Amino acid sequence: MPTKILSIDDSRTIRLIVAKGFQPYDVIMFEGANGEEGLAVATRERPDLIILDVTMPVMDGVTMLGKLKENSDLKQIPVIMLTAESGRENVLKIARMGVRDYLVKPFKEDQLIEKVSRIVPLQKKPATT
Amino acid sequence: MTEEQNYNEVARRYGLEPIPESVLRLTQLVSRQDAGLDEIAGFIKKDPALGRRVLRLANPGAKTAADYTIKTVDEALMRNGIGCALLLAMNAPLSEALVKTFLTMLSLKLECLDVHQAVPLQGNHLLGTIKFSGHATGQVYLRLSFDSAKQVAARVLGLDPAEAVDLDAAKDAVGELLNIMAGNFKSNLCDAGLECCRLEPPNVFSTSGFTTVIEPGCGLERMAFSAPPILLFVDARVNPWS
Repeated sequence: MPTKILSIDDSRTIRLIVAKGFQPYDVIMFEGANGEEGLAVATRERPDLIILDVTMPVMDGVTMLGKLKENSDLKQIPVIMLTAESGRENVLKIARMGVRDYLVKPFKEDQLIEKVSRIVPLQKKPATT
Repeated sequence: MTEEQNYNEVARRYGLEPIPESVLRLTQLVSRQDAGLDEIAGFIKKDPALGRRVLRLANPGAKTAADYTIKTVDEALMRNGIGCALLLAMNAPLSEALVKTFLTMLSLKLECLDVHQAVPLQGNHLLGTIKFSGHATGQVYLRLSFDSAKQVAARVLGLDPAEAVDLDAAKDAVGELLNIMAGNFKSNLCDAGLECCRLEPPNVFSTSGFTTVIEPGCGLERMAFSAPPILLFVDARVNPWS
């Protein structure tokens, strides 16, 4: 059964980089360009893991995280923050909201894969001939 | 457990890097609203490299030290305000954020150039801006040619640099790099005691001109970086007491 991952970032570039990183794995990727879209996709698809940016238009990542944790159906979904914000205050605030991990941009694909693989199973796709 | 211990525990768990001690010291001094200019000047004078840079910041139009009209650190701080010293303190984290971003995400090693020696951008080019606001407010600007922007986008997305990248993709990639750089910069300002509440999403657009308005007490730092054929100009404006 493929792992379902939801990537939420207002940058198409970051969403492409994240999706490319998971291409070798048996993963179904979903995307959202802001917190509002992310919540809608999370409600509809029930992903196994969410990768979430902080600074986004419409609804930022911290607000989305708060709403996710208030929702009894979604609050168990593990969240990895992927953000350029590494200030102590923000990190502590977000850590207290119950995120599973925190990756500061800039990042390498393998750092993200490593953090994700600690939380959900990642199976390599069989080689195609 | 204290807030500091709490943070250290969270930082260890998530593998986050701490802010450099040297940066913290000068920035904390500058961010103290009761710190006198003489105290800040004394700190800067202890480090000749910092002294040279504050004079360079205070004489933005001068091509060499011989052209300086402001010749001492005290005079530079008196004339240009504490924002100038703050930028001096934060230049290293800003440059490091940019260099690290390019190295990590583009596998490119940027070299810092003398901004007066770099060939200025001519005609239409891309300008990315990002604002932060709170106790410290300011703006970071990133400028580069369309060709450089397309090269950047291709490398970020793992494409062959010769592959055609459309301008929208280039804008998005430049915006995200700016977002990463400014986010790191703002986090360092916050950690040094200048609480910045908000980082606005980046705005990237085409322009043929670039000007910045410098208010009293505000600091402006201009930098240029190169990894041929990519050439970038970075400007940072900070006003510490908004």
